[in-house]
Amino acid sequence: MTSFDHQTHYEILEIRPDASAEDVERAYRMALSTYGSDSMAVYSLLGEEEVSSARERVELAYEVLSDSTARQRYDAQIGADGWEGHEAFEQRIELDDLPGDVEELMIPGEPETDPGPAPARTAQQLLTLDGVEPSEDESEGGVFDGARLRRARLLRGVEVDQIAELTKVNPTYLHFIEEERFDDLPATVYVRGFVTAYARALGLDAHDVPLSYVERLQQHRAERAGRSRR
Amino acid sequence: MIEPVRGGDPSASMSSSPAPDAARMIAVGGGKGGVGKTFVTVNLATAIAREGYDVVVVDGDLEGANTHTCLGVPPPPLSLADFVANREEELSKLVVPTGIPNLSLVAATHANLAAAQPGHFQRVRLLSRLRQLPVDLVLIDLGAGTAPAVMDYFLVGDDGLLVFCPEPTSIENAYAFLRAAFYRRMRLGMVTHSVRGLVTQAMDQRNEKGIRTPADLLREIEALDPAEGGRFTETLKCFRPRLIVNDVRTADEIKLGFSVRSVCKSYFGLDADYLGYVNHDQGVRQSVVSRRPLVDINPNCDAAVYLRRIARKLIQTLGQPGGAPEEAS
Repeated sequence: MTSFDHQTHYEILEIRPDASAEDVERAYRMALSTYGSDSMAVYSLLGEEEVSSARERVELAYEVLSDSTARQRYDAQIGADGWEGHEAFEQRIELDDLPGDVEELMIPGEPETDPGPAPARTAQQLLTLDGVEPSEDESEGGVFDGARLRRARLLRGVEVDQIAELTKVNPTYLHFIEEERFDDLPATVYVRGFVTAYARALGLDAHDVPLSYVERLQQHRAERAGRSRR
Repeated sequence: MIEPVRGGDPSASMSSSPAPDAARMIAVGGGKGGVGKTFVTVNLATAIAREGYDVVVVDGDLEGANTHTCLGVPPPPLSLADFVANREEELSKLVVPTGIPNLSLVAATHANLAAAQPGHFQRVRLLSRLRQLPVDLVLIDLGAGTAPAVMDYFLVGDDGLLVFCPEPTSIENAYAFLRAAFYRRMRLGMVTHSVRGLVTQAMDQRNEKGIRTPADLLREIEALDPAEGGRFTETLKCFRPRLIVNDVRTADEIKLGFSVRSVCKSYFGLDADYLGYVNHDQGVRQSVVSRRPLVDINPNCDAAVYLRRIARKLIQTLGQPGGAPEEAS
């Protein structure tokens, strides 16, 4: 344990010294939400002063690491053409190698398949949390139901309202889509449009996803029509 | 107080390699009542049992027993209360089937409310007997609070799961729980009387020495006795609580697990493991009302899928079903 003052900028942001600029950005956003003024994660444990000094420390780390010139200078200063030989970093690598893959954490996928242990790194976890890497849910194709759409959204750390803003689709319909409240959804042609916009907003396949979803919708509606005819 | 590891090998408890034929013990705590400890415990136990492992769930809450209810088991004639009250010596007689293959239960029903919690000696006896049960895994469902009786189970188990909800009250109690576990664990790891005294002082948040954080404490210890400082750091490395966020509704609430993990590292110096989250699901209430585990009555709902995910991660720390448990790495 080292107090915040003694940690390197990399340790503060919980990234490896070879982290990419994107990783730095994501880690910074994550740290801001951890040490934000209304963060639940520090509630009751840290005082107001401690939180604001942690935040300052995060800002400083980001300021240096997000500027490639400053970062190079900093690396030289802490004796890291990287990190070999640096005790703190060595410990971190060891921890990073522990099993506990976040992709596995974020998406349930098929319960029958055994994911097996996979290396996890903080930055990678954040990356996955932000949904940059294609998840196993998506790469497999298969059926896209409402629950899977929601998982894909949560994986990216996106709220329904954000999708609504982006797609101009009423958030109530987006919720209905996720919950598969088929009876409350409008005509199929609209739903297809909504799901296409939803998929696009999340970077999912804008062809296969609506196709699969609408198939479920139509199936449900055909069954219902069949029942009411009888 | 249970003192399995004073000084010497700090790994002897929390991440120990149990005797080859000993059951693995995992305690589930969280500080606050109502965050879903019992719900999570029962469902993880069921999911692991369904994978072919022999599992015993132990209701560690003598003052608020309801693990049996979540499993739909009627109050058994013998319970932990009888063991604690010395009415029954043989722990294996308390183990009752649950109707779920490979899963049995030690209930905590009809406790003597005048002296519900077992004393120190009884806890030692209980924990050592639990390890001897001929099963792969013992899951202990802890009560709320941070009383010594609760903390000891958490510290002596091979693994400690910390369940909390994305609510300030739950987080507050989870940190209180972690704080209690942390200082008790650290005190167990120290050898000299003076340093142990120092840790005891630090447990009082308004201590005279002005020790406010674990980092302050480490500084004081290093100044007093560098060897103990080293032991402190070693002990820290072996204490690895695993976090489960229950009842999440938004992406931000999922991220809370990462944030708490970060704070564990920066504040306590602990490498906590974010094991997973369980999302808010209508099926949960239905499961409690029908007194059957969610993973059984509604295996395809989101919460059940996530619970099985967590169960599989725990299984990775076990050996083959029915075989000797392996050391988790």
